[in-house]
Amino acid sequence: MIEVAALTKRYGSFTAVRDLSFAVRPGEVLGLVGPNGAGKTTTLRCLAGIIPATAGTVRIAGHDVATEAVAAKRALAFFPDEPRLFDYLTVRQHLNFVGRLYGVENYEAIAGPLLTEFEIADKADQLPGELSRGMKQKLAIACGLLHGPRVLFFDEPLTGLDPLGIRRMKDSIARRAREGATIVLSSHLLHLLEEVCSHVLILKQGEKIANGAIAEVAARFSNGESRVSLEEVFIRATGGSER
Amino acid sequence: MLRALIYLRVMSAWNWLRSRAQRLRQPKYLFGAIVGAAYFYFFFIRSFAGPPRPRDPQAMAVLDAASLALPANGLLVASAAGALLLLLIVAIMWIVPTQRAALGFTEAEIAFLFPAPVTRRSLVHFRLLSSQFRSLVGAALMMLFTNRWSFLGGNALTHAIGWWFIFSALNLHFSGANFTLSRLADRGIGPWRRRLLVCALVAAAIGITFFRLPVDARWPAPLAAPSLQPLAYWLVGLTETAPLSWLLWPLKTVLGPFLAADGRAFLFILPSALLVISVHYLWVVRSAVSFEDAAVDDAQRRAAQLTGWRAPDRSGPGRTPAARKGPFLLAGVGRPELAFFWKNLLSTWPYFTGRVFLIGAGLILASVAWLRTQPIAPALVPGTGAVAAAFAVYVLIVGPQFARQDLRGDLSHTDVLKTYPLPGWQIVLGELLTPVAILTGVLWLALLTVALTFPPPGRDWVWLTPPVRIIGTLGLAVIMPALVSLQLLVPNAAALFFPGWFQTTRNRGGGPEVVGQRMIFFFAQTLTMVAALIPAAFAGAVPFAIAFLFGQQGTLALALSSVASAGLILAVLVAEIATGVRLLGARFEQLDLSAELRP
Repeated sequence: MIEVAALTKRYGSFTAVRDLSFAVRPGEVLGLVGPNGAGKTTTLRCLAGIIPATAGTVRIAGHDVATEAVAAKRALAFFPDEPRLFDYLTVRQHLNFVGRLYGVENYEAIAGPLLTEFEIADKADQLPGELSRGMKQKLAIACGLLHGPRVLFFDEPLTGLDPLGIRRMKDSIARRAREGATIVLSSHLLHLLEEVCSHVLILKQGEKIANGAIAEVAARFSNGESRVSLEEVFIRATGGSER
Repeated sequence: MLRALIYLRVMSAWNWLRSRAQRLRQPKYLFGAIVGAAYFYFFFIRSFAGPPRPRDPQAMAVLDAASLALPANGLLVASAAGALLLLLIVAIMWIVPTQRAALGFTEAEIAFLFPAPVTRRSLVHFRLLSSQFRSLVGAALMMLFTNRWSFLGGNALTHAIGWWFIFSALNLHFSGANFTLSRLADRGIGPWRRRLLVCALVAAAIGITFFRLPVDARWPAPLAAPSLQPLAYWLVGLTETAPLSWLLWPLKTVLGPFLAADGRAFLFILPSALLVISVHYLWVVRSAVSFEDAAVDDAQRRAAQLTGWRAPDRSGPGRTPAARKGPFLLAGVGRPELAFFWKNLLSTWPYFTGRVFLIGAGLILASVAWLRTQPIAPALVPGTGAVAAAFAVYVLIVGPQFARQDLRGDLSHTDVLKTYPLPGWQIVLGELLTPVAILTGVLWLALLTVALTFPPPGRDWVWLTPPVRIIGTLGLAVIMPALVSLQLLVPNAAALFFPGWFQTTRNRGGGPEVVGQRMIFFFAQTLTMVAALIPAAFAGAVPFAIAFLFGQQGTLALALSSVASAGLILAVLVAEIATGVRLLGARFEQLDLSAELRP
């Protein structure tokens, strides 16, 4: 569902992502981890077609993000770390707007259950300025899910959520993966990744350090120890530093 | 401790300069800086270097005539008028404020400085120091402007120092007044009581002075020929009479260095001016009251104002938006561009609706009909038409800078917009629809007014029969959305090609390159319009040429030619707009805002 080949992103002389290749299949949840400045967000933004890659290819649901951007974007949803909402649209109007952009004919029938699932149905006529940070996050996610995307990109999905919200978000991600969605999420919360992800991709300074099923990657960095945590794997893989 | 605060201010200024300089490595920003620097050089700095340029004899004649109307010593009048203006500003400082003294700390300054082991007095000093930076920059800029005022004596240096005295005194007085007002509020003197007191004091000073003047000097003596001399002499006399002269003494003293005719006069007034500044400084430092709570509120309010300024309609910084119904029913399927139209209409004033424009048209029709029945109609009706025509031109040229409910308003949402399954051109087109609709509506109302009122009846306009007038108006009305679209393409292109500049201007900051940018945009807008209109004008001329060649010059031929001409002009303009939208769409698809905004 997601195929990335030799993805490179440069900003002038600075290389944010270098020669990155990996694939994620339906039902898999890939955790993107790495120290600050490792290139996680840049990678996600390239995958979602927000910024053009300098080199390499990204295929979403069989569509090249560079040459068939519209088809690829129909299949995906991107959730940034900070919910970007329109100040003047209410919760309901956000869903109306997004429904039209994606051509969701029966958007009202889908929007209702989504608002209920994320517990913001009673806020339907409120503006983002009247919502808490967590509620804004939920609205952004509801907007992204309206068109039934098969590929989901989450950048730090738990930021700003309360404990109950975190539990619901984790359940929601796991459920969508079980239903066949392909999910990539970046987070510094390694216990979340351990709970939710089936696979992990470790980045450092824009380069791939390790990639594979969590158990495989853990085995690679276990040094013969049993039950090594992802946190320990991360520290060993990255050498315990950003550089 | 103050050294750390000075370090913060100096390093912030230095880093600001450095980031602007680094941006100049990109040719487009460098070009803007060159244009801005050239503008400053040719309009302001060139006058410093070299001998004075010979002035236009006609302009000199006008200036000579005007100077005859003024008294010989213009500096005395300038001092009197300037002191009265300062008195007005100072009075406003005492009358208007309703909040406690806040000193204008930023949110970052509050986060770092308030919990730090810094005394309140140090914080006051920090703010005074910060205001000095602004005073110095303001003084330098004002010196550039006022150095061309030929009636002033002194030189560039005395003018710059003079402006510094004025700005510093006002800044200090503002802080001192705020602290004193906070103290008065703590003692139970509310804003209205205080306003009454201040107004009464100023009015009493002016009133007593007025009545102390000799009866024949209370009003300017009328002259047979129009002249400002009596008024000027009266003003000087008034401000030199007690008790107003006591009130104005510190203000005239602060103005003194700026108005000093030569070095000697400057040095003579300098100690007094320094004394006024020193007394103000002591007043501020000694009267400082608790300002922390007010500073936090003020910083949050200003942050909200900044958000409001960045909002698409700029209609009210800090304004809290209210939820309201969609402007029309937006179905789940259909042209996605209309979704942007729908969304951006929601982001602007609720009066931009078809109903309001129809009511506006009705009011114009009724008003013009009523005007025509009035005795002064022959003068008033064409005048109204001329004003409406000027307004239309203004809206067409300047309107796109105000109607920003397009990509410029959504630049901060670029990441979200780029995830939508739409080609770039559809997003650009959708974003353009709202300002096009709003400006077109306003222009149509102006056009209607022009059509109903202009030109006056007369022999020269016999060909402008009602049918021709109607067809001509309709033709222009049809072309108008295209003209507005063309005008809007330039600022939107600027936002996409120069997002760094664009963000800077929205934050009201910048340097020479931002001045250059504004000039480039203005020229680009004019150039685009001219370049787009030339082929359209040629196409539009074809039907008239054909009619002329075949000797058809009757009303019917004129009407038919007008219709055909409007159609051809519209076709050319639409083709040009389509090309522009496609180009901007391609640019939008390639836009990487994070890369563009990197220093």
